[in-house]
Amino acid sequence: MKMRTCRFISILLLISLLCPAVWGQSRKDNKPKEKAPLLSGVGVGIDICGLAMKAVGARFANMEISGRVGLKEKFFPIFEIGIGDCTRYGGETTNVFSTRAPYWRIGMDYNVNKKLNGNRFLVGIRYGFSSYKYDFTCPDLTDPVYGTVRPLELEGLKGNNQWLEFCIGFETRLWSIVRLGYNIRYKMQTLQSYSELGTPYYVPGFGRNDDSAFGGTVNLTFDIGKTARNSNQKSLFGRHKKKEKDDIKDKNQAPTPVESAPRAAKRRENKK
Amino acid sequence: MKQRRVHILACVICLMGICSCDTIDCTLNNTVAMTCNFYQDGKVVQLNDILTITANDTNIVLVNQKQGASTLPLPLSFYNEVDTLLFTVEGNDYIVTDTLWIEKTSYNHFESPDCPVNMFHNITKVRCTHLFIDSVTITRPDVDFYEDENLQIHFYPSAD
Repeated sequence: MKMRTCRFISILLLISLLCPAVWGQSRKDNKPKEKAPLLSGVGVGIDICGLAMKAVGARFANMEISGRVGLKEKFFPIFEIGIGDCTRYGGETTNVFSTRAPYWRIGMDYNVNKKLNGNRFLVGIRYGFSSYKYDFTCPDLTDPVYGTVRPLELEGLKGNNQWLEFCIGFETRLWSIVRLGYNIRYKMQTLQSYSELGTPYYVPGFGRNDDSAFGGTVNLTFDIGKTARNSNQKSLFGRHKKKEKDDIKDKNQAPTPVESAPRAAKRRENKK
Repeated sequence: MKQRRVHILACVICLMGICSCDTIDCTLNNTVAMTCNFYQDGKVVQLNDILTITANDTNIVLVNQKQGASTLPLPLSFYNEVDTLLFTVEGNDYIVTDTLWIEKTSYNHFESPDCPVNMFHNITKVRCTHLFIDSVTITRPDVDFYEDENLQIHFYPSAD
């Protein structure tokens, strides 16, 4: 219950931060509407959140890459593939759960932002699948009544999970073809099967095994295509700064004095 | 500049929200025991005599001098293929001991690394020495967290 409340507050905070960024940006752009081409770009991304979780030694981490196609800068069919890794030690027990297996997701994002200003406010859906093996060990499993002690080693237990994800996220252009985005996902299990010996603690790609879960990714995407380097798009770093500097330079330059009409006529006569 | 700060702050909050919280959800009712009910003339009865049940191979007392029992939760061993239980009934002028052999297969059950591992059982066969127990019927072979009846222990029909 505590976990859900924390995550709910995090999501509320995130949405409250996202919305002004997108709306504020759209208010500034008063340019005429532009049409994006049918194939507006191709992107390859990596989830830096999963890598960060692995680097800091989190209990589990989903390390994934994604590939997507932009259609008219509105629809983004996407395919995500990754490896889920978990080694979990029991807090007050000597139990150890571990798994490492691939997973994949397929789905589509829709860009709600109508302006071609480099920002994307995305809502989307995903279908995820993972087939995995998991291990569970307990070095000193004790019979509480009869007092017998034997180690428990369950290895290679098989599990399959399928789930749906509903995503909401924001993405912006950092520099050139580099984009940074993050999204929050609500995950719902649709089908699951696992060994009768025990429930897996973690499902690769889904997270902690439950009927539903919240998750998220922070994506660094390399977007190649017609709209990716569109000059109308503003990046957070780099190009627009240079433009601003150029504007300031222009303003600082002294205006060229205009020649008066009688003086110009006199100059032409002298040349003749 | 403001937009950039908001963006970075949102990234940090997103990471914190995903990484921070965790809970432990273990089953509250995590006792695994075989539920036995006493029957006579087809009805559940209370045993007015004093009942003591011991595990034969270890002499561990599972039930100690219980009076008026009609239902009993009995733990089964984790690793034995057959559990031998001695049912000793003490009346005013008699002591009778009946032996019950419970053949079973056991398998592990775990829910989370934070929760203790349990052992579930599947009862395959039950037999007894028929001194004061007439017959034993397996009503539900699976012994797990549920407290539903597993065995019916029938006493000999009353003389009335």
